[in-house]
Amino acid sequence: MSEALLTLGFGIITASILALSAVAFTLEYGVTNVANVSHGEILTIGAYAAYLVHQRTGSAIAAAIAAALAGGLAAVAMYWSLIGPFIRFGASPTVIFIATLGMSFVIQNTLVIFFGAANVAYTIDPGAPRYVGPFLVTALDEQIVASAIAITVVLFFIISRTKFGKALRAVSQNRELARVTGINATRVAAATYFLAGLIAGYAGFVLAESVGSFNPYFGFMFFLITLTAAVAGGLGKAVGTMVGAVIVGIILEALPALPVPFVGGYISASYNLAVAFAILAVVILVRPRGLFTNARRTVFE
Amino acid sequence: MSAYLISVLTEGAIFGIMALGLNVIWGWSGDFDLAYYGYIAVGAYMTLVLTIGPAQAPAEYILGQQLPYPVAVVIAVVTTMAVGLVVGLIALRHLRGIYFSIVTLGAVYVMYVIAGQFVPLFDGYNGLSGLFDPMGDVFGLDYQSYQYFFLGLSLVMFVIVYAFMARVSSSRFGMALRTLREDERAAAAFGRDIYRLKLKGYVLGAALGGFAGALFAAYLTAFNPSAWSPVEVIVLYSAVLVGGRGNIRGVVLGVLIMGVLVQESTRFLPDLPGLGQLNTDHPQVLLAMRGAIIGLVLVLFLRFRPRGLLPERRFVDRQPAIDVAPRSA
Repeated sequence: MSEALLTLGFGIITASILALSAVAFTLEYGVTNVANVSHGEILTIGAYAAYLVHQRTGSAIAAAIAAALAGGLAAVAMYWSLIGPFIRFGASPTVIFIATLGMSFVIQNTLVIFFGAANVAYTIDPGAPRYVGPFLVTALDEQIVASAIAITVVLFFIISRTKFGKALRAVSQNRELARVTGINATRVAAATYFLAGLIAGYAGFVLAESVGSFNPYFGFMFFLITLTAAVAGGLGKAVGTMVGAVIVGIILEALPALPVPFVGGYISASYNLAVAFAILAVVILVRPRGLFTNARRTVFE
Repeated sequence: MSAYLISVLTEGAIFGIMALGLNVIWGWSGDFDLAYYGYIAVGAYMTLVLTIGPAQAPAEYILGQQLPYPVAVVIAVVTTMAVGLVVGLIALRHLRGIYFSIVTLGAVYVMYVIAGQFVPLFDGYNGLSGLFDPMGDVFGLDYQSYQYFFLGLSLVMFVIVYAFMARVSSSRFGMALRTLREDERAAAAFGRDIYRLKLKGYVLGAALGGFAGALFAAYLTAFNPSAWSPVEVIVLYSAVLVGGRGNIRGVVLGVLIMGVLVQESTRFLPDLPGLGQLNTDHPQVLLAMRGAIIGLVLVLFLRFRPRGLLPERRFVDRQPAIDVAPRSA
């Protein structure tokens, strides 16, 4: 029993990082109706920015801010240079999907050129593990979960209470109708990308900290899991995506602890990605709109 | 002919077969299939386990037969078709657009992880090796003349596949696949069984991938999960796109440009002043430069020339029965 709770604890940590990444991805999807495959690279850029700033200043807070800002700028750059022009050009979502895949490849390789392909060790002293209730956590874990919750609360305040949030929801639901009412859809989309980039960049920093190392490909690997969470929750739906992220995060952590008869006793953690995609395939086939959506409901309800 | 030229041509011919197979799925049927490299891998793995004989400890893998190479190739292609059929049955039922791409991406990762992690299958990340000069002893060839023989074999196979694809391209089946790409509803209204047709196209593409994989295994003499590197995969997609999706002549041109020209010319980057030192200090940098260039070409073509250098010929009704609307100026 206590072992199950321990697993649940680790699952919550993974889930909170995943939730940040997935909610950012789903925001990007919502305003442009495009799956940004280079989303993972925002996390990677955030991790590199955090690492560089942390080395110079020695301050974790400065590193977090740098990661978020770098992520935000990277996301806006992606929007202005590639996704926006493709949308104006009238490209289909599949074409933009392929284009962002190409861009993700360009960014990964550019990072290899400047920083090398090797793993960069990035460890912050996580503090001694201690029990909080039934969960075994470190101070670092507590900060990760607390910051994820704080960001989520702020994000939902922005989406539901501010004028920008209203414009964001309008563009997500119907881009043309929003434009008719005088909303500058392009600017709202760019601003949303910036917001999503801030969150994703920070998620990259937190992920690098929690894993302890990163390389130019690490964001892409995490993107594959992000995609699972976002699709499971419903692409473009923020609340559903959060719930999807929590479920997928916990399943991924719980899985290696489950005994399975034919694969040498336990599923090795390296099967994670395969399992994530198996979940994804099942979800897409059974409930393509996501697990928690009612088809009639709109994007952010 | 230098050994270098032989290897470039052999690789190019095998690569051409791969691209022609991808063209069936992406070019004609219109589905952006990310699982395609998995079929190449299945073809290569199956050929190896059927020809290299029983496993010597500590290596372990299934089957371990020593069949003649052509027999192994046939079984490998059939296996690939079966795998393609399974993926196609799942992915083509309801899914189109990015959902299809995401599920096929999932499928290829599942294959990759299983091939890498489940050691008893294909010896995990070590991969398989030891297929030396298949059919060479039958014809009594030495190492040198075998290179010519295998080049000839690859070229002949490429020509056969190309001729076959040229026929398929203008056949009723090829036309029907294109109508699905253009307008599924209209095709259904004309009585086409969409799912069945798409599946047929998908399995045909997978079969060509498996066949190319079987040749690839003989060319490389080995195969392991690191051969599925993203660089290799994305070159294939960019070749089909740059040449012209749907047009087999375009696809071959794309293979010549992306697969042979870009791939081989970046090999000489170290000879440029300044880059040689860089290459010795950071060997992965040049590979990354090649990758970045290929990614950039993919993006630029999608934006500025999405139909490729040799666009597919569109079929236009030149004798409309009635002039529906006067053409405005």
